Amino acid sequence: MFGLLDSGFQFFTWGNALMIIIGCILITLAIAKNMEPLLLLPIGFSIILVNLPLGGLMDYEYKLRAQNPGIVKEIVLEKRTAFETGSTIIKTDAEELASPVYGRVKEFKVKENQTVEAGDVVAVIITTAQTDQSKIPTEPVGLLSRFFAFGIMWQILPPLIFLCLGALTDFGPMLANPKTLLLGAAAQFGVYFAFFLAIFFGFSLPEASSIGIIGGAEGPTTIYVTARLAPHIIGATAVACYSYMALVPLILPPVVRLLTTKKERGIYMKPQLRKVSKLEKIIFPILTAIVVILFVPDSAPLIGSFMIGNLFRESGVVERLSKTSQTAFIDIMTIFLTLAIGGTMSAENFLRLDTLKILVLGVVAFASAAAAGVLLAKTMNLFLKNKINPMIGAAGVSAVPMSARVIQVLGQKENKSNFLLMHAMGPNVAGAIGAAIAGGVFIGILG
Amino acid sequence: MDIGLALKIALGGFSMVFFLLILLWFTVWATKVVTEKITKTKS
Repeated sequence: MFGLLDSGFQFFTWGNALMIIIGCILITLAIAKNMEPLLLLPIGFSIILVNLPLGGLMDYEYKLRAQNPGIVKEIVLEKRTAFETGSTIIKTDAEELASPVYGRVKEFKVKENQTVEAGDVVAVIITTAQTDQSKIPTEPVGLLSRFFAFGIMWQILPPLIFLCLGALTDFGPMLANPKTLLLGAAAQFGVYFAFFLAIFFGFSLPEASSIGIIGGAEGPTTIYVTARLAPHIIGATAVACYSYMALVPLILPPVVRLLTTKKERGIYMKPQLRKVSKLEKIIFPILTAIVVILFVPDSAPLIGSFMIGNLFRESGVVERLSKTSQTAFIDIMTIFLTLAIGGTMSAENFLRLDTLKILVLGVVAFASAAAAGVLLAKTMNLFLKNKINPMIGAAGVSAVPMSARVIQVLGQKENKSNFLLMHAMGPNVAGAIGAAIAGGVFIGILG
Repeated sequence: MDIGLALKIALGGFSMVFFLLILLWFTVWATKVVTEKITKTKS
């Protein structure tokens, strides 16, 4: 601007424009269709913000260093010029120094004909790439990149959101009818089916694990696992997970109808569940944490947080902690988490063929998880005296409590006197525990 | 890509999730029995 200030227009690309449209679509879905507004609205706006060039909200600094001593022969690029991964930035008489990340040069630390030693910083590069810090160390310098680095990469926000979810979860229906734990386990089939498919789609094992875990239908678990195993695809996996959670009312019904007969969908279940004592509800989170973490130590941050939040709720002596976790605290964590996730969706990061593949695999993960739950419920009915409505198996797709509500609506359509909500909540919360365990197993093997 | 390793991870992982949730089922049942006994003893 008047030669004094760079404007963003010169760096604005068609990719940025497309991402801004995607951001607007998410905001529209949140406002007009009320689809997961607490998540999609901040993610949508964050997408818009990071696609405005030079805004710098999601920037990281990478220091390009000389590998060998030499004399600088040529500075190939001009300051602020955008370049692709692998572009040569500086040539010395000993080597060509290429950037391992895309971005633009913030400043050069050397001049032509200057002598450099091995390890000297020759240029500071600004990038929005999510890198493997052990190989390409970067430093967050933008507001959202700091949220992302210290909230998500340090694995603080997802476990804290899990703590809040624990405070919001009533395990009563599951404790009253513990065989529904099996349905929650069966639904994890979707995780492993999508994991396997992702490998055939050409993804690496850590990437495939992060894609498979979308089938667990737990946003914080998906983000936690992806941050540990494949941070460069975190935007796509998080958006796939949250979008499909919002689309559960569209994904579950066709799967359920395809796999059940009208008669099966009409199976009546008595609304009265066994009364669960307060003592049982207090003991359950403590025992679960001990058992699960001993078997799968890497699930400790998620399961531990989930169970301590639930103990806040059930103990009855820390009402302030329970109330805060259920209201203000989860809202604050959600703001940080969603802004950071939206921040990863710059055009350079998101507009790739891999993103499309992840979105396709995500819906396969959800549908196959629901199908596995229904099929196990049908199998269980072969042995049970009191039959269960196989539709509640589909609620093993976590997405608490959305999938249980969808099953309640489907049940009412088939049999007006059938109230399946409480029955479906059992596999629903079991699915949340199952997803956290599945995530812990992936991290344990590949992390 | 090592499909054998992927298959091991998938089968091993799924089995572990199933095993743990069955173990939790047993834990829930044991908790119920113990708490009922405690309640009876108290009353």
